[in-house]
Amino acid sequence: MLADQDPGPRRVAYYKGCLASLSTKELDISTRALAPKLGLELAELESVTCCGAGDIHEAEPDYYLHLNARILAYAQAEGCDTLMTICNVCTLNLRQADFQLKNDEHLRSRINENLETVGAPPYSGSVDVQHFLWMIAEGEGYEKLKEVAHRGLKGLKIAPFYGCQILRPSKLLGVDDPDAPHTLEAVIDACGGKAIDYPAKVKCCGFPIIQAREDVALGELIQPIEQAMERGADAMVTPCPLCHLSLDAWQQKLEKQTGRTFDMPIMHLSQLVGVAAGLADSELKFKRHVVSMQPVLDKIEA
Amino acid sequence: MRGKGAELQVKLRIQRFDPAVGDRRLVPYDVEVPEWATLLDVLDIVKDTVDGSLSFRKSCRMMICGSCGMRMDGRAILACRERMKPIVNAGHVPTISPMGNMPIIKDLVVDMGPFWQKIRQMKPWLDPGLAESPEKENLHSQAAMEPIQKEALCVMCGCCVSECNSMESDPEFLGPAALAKGFRLVGDPRDAKGIERLEGYSGEHGIWDCTRCYFCNERCPKGVDPRDAIAKLGAEAIGQGIDRDPGARHANWFVHSAKTTGWLRETELVPKTQGLVETIKQTKFALSLARRGKVPTPFPPHVAKDVNESRSLYDIVKKQGRSGAAGIVQGEKALRKLEH
Repeated sequence: MLADQDPGPRRVAYYKGCLASLSTKELDISTRALAPKLGLELAELESVTCCGAGDIHEAEPDYYLHLNARILAYAQAEGCDTLMTICNVCTLNLRQADFQLKNDEHLRSRINENLETVGAPPYSGSVDVQHFLWMIAEGEGYEKLKEVAHRGLKGLKIAPFYGCQILRPSKLLGVDDPDAPHTLEAVIDACGGKAIDYPAKVKCCGFPIIQAREDVALGELIQPIEQAMERGADAMVTPCPLCHLSLDAWQQKLEKQTGRTFDMPIMHLSQLVGVAAGLADSELKFKRHVVSMQPVLDKIEA
Repeated sequence: MRGKGAELQVKLRIQRFDPAVGDRRLVPYDVEVPEWATLLDVLDIVKDTVDGSLSFRKSCRMMICGSCGMRMDGRAILACRERMKPIVNAGHVPTISPMGNMPIIKDLVVDMGPFWQKIRQMKPWLDPGLAESPEKENLHSQAAMEPIQKEALCVMCGCCVSECNSMESDPEFLGPAALAKGFRLVGDPRDAKGIERLEGYSGEHGIWDCTRCYFCNERCPKGVDPRDAIAKLGAEAIGQGIDRDPGARHANWFVHSAKTTGWLRETELVPKTQGLVETIKQTKFALSLARRGKVPTPFPPHVAKDVNESRSLYDIVKKQGRSGAAGIVQGEKALRKLEH
């Protein structure tokens, strides 16, 4: 009878990153509401900081390594072997630092000495950084997802938008084929939606330079939105809050620039699964989006 | 070449373009090739036996000259590096097309004029800054050359430029190949013009145009990792105080946020990046986001527990002096263990 016993929830350290604590709070709220349904227990990390978002890696690279080592160290101190991320940029920054720390003893010991000097726990290299998408798109997580997503998206056409730093550089990420990814499609399928295929789903949303080079960024942003619209998508879904902000909040700037109307609703991955799993409005928080999700919700209700 | 050893039947589609006619079309080919054939061998056989008008660039056949950059199924590759056997065995019929971000001259040949123009903009020669020729050679250690060993591998094939997302949007962007060359010069101990170069690369279409899409790292057939080279240039520029560009100010604000509150101080990021005047121009946009709760109030600040640790770490890091590119180079030893 052992095989029938529920092993209980899988406890993972939860790294929500900056944006999910601030302008994309709906991502954090929906992830927390969804986790128990998917058999995940999220261990809170109160002492961690920003991963640097690639910016600290560029401005003060040694500080970037220390901050990320400290995040990994706190995950390890929580007794977790997995650090779950919900943002592409956090995923790459943490995985890169983790790889460097695991594979360079000299680097790790210098950084650990510094961590100890400031009173933080050291990092021995026992944590694996996994994006939430990867945890539900394969293996046991996928089986659990299929059970939970029973409410179904009723054949709704969903355009998966991966963004960059969950695919490239693939040697540091490695779950999806960077040119023919499948994980988002698998999740959409499990939720009863129909995944739309389009070339820009693996390209950049422009967000990292949207403050410093808005025109260049908008030239990148228009491609996925335009292609998803042309192919009849009801909504888009992304595993990254930076992409979400770009696609959702900056869409109005594209409309102003081009004189066209897109009205393309954008979902976080946790919201897409959340809708299929029947989360409440107060857990999905679509009211926090700039582009209304109502037409999509009406279609599901109909 | 033909008739020796085991053979392979290769099917592929090639995008043909004749400037005299002007239309692009996909033409299917089906040829018998030796089983060890690369894509370049196949193209040679098509040209020799099927259609002599097929145009493509080639030279060394061994991944050194960088001439045969093109796309296979939309990915920029060196034709001499792609073996056909696994593709045929998988039953796949690949589509061959010219590289992106460069105008097509004919078939698989693109105009690399703008590519070379950008390389020239980098002043791609060492300038030791000496008034007179020295009397004897000036020896440099192997260790001093280590920081630029990846960038020195570049064969200027254009595969990175072909896929650059920022260049697609801003054709004047210096781009991954030229900027990797830039770091190859800035990081070279024999060059004395680092500051001048960094100033030059920090302009409107320079370092801070890169959107970190990482297509360049993914495509580079030589392991140069151009995006990392751009990060090293950014790190050097900031380390030298060349940080007036909004991109550099954006990066610096993340450091400042981490060492004060631990988390990004998101609402202040806009004025810190763009300056007050630009920020005021954005008021209407900001209000539209604020209505949806997307402009979190900076007060009270969102402060991480034990933030004093990240503050102290910053002080230690500054004392240990691995600012600039050195902070990124130190991580490359581990990254070399990754298969490219």
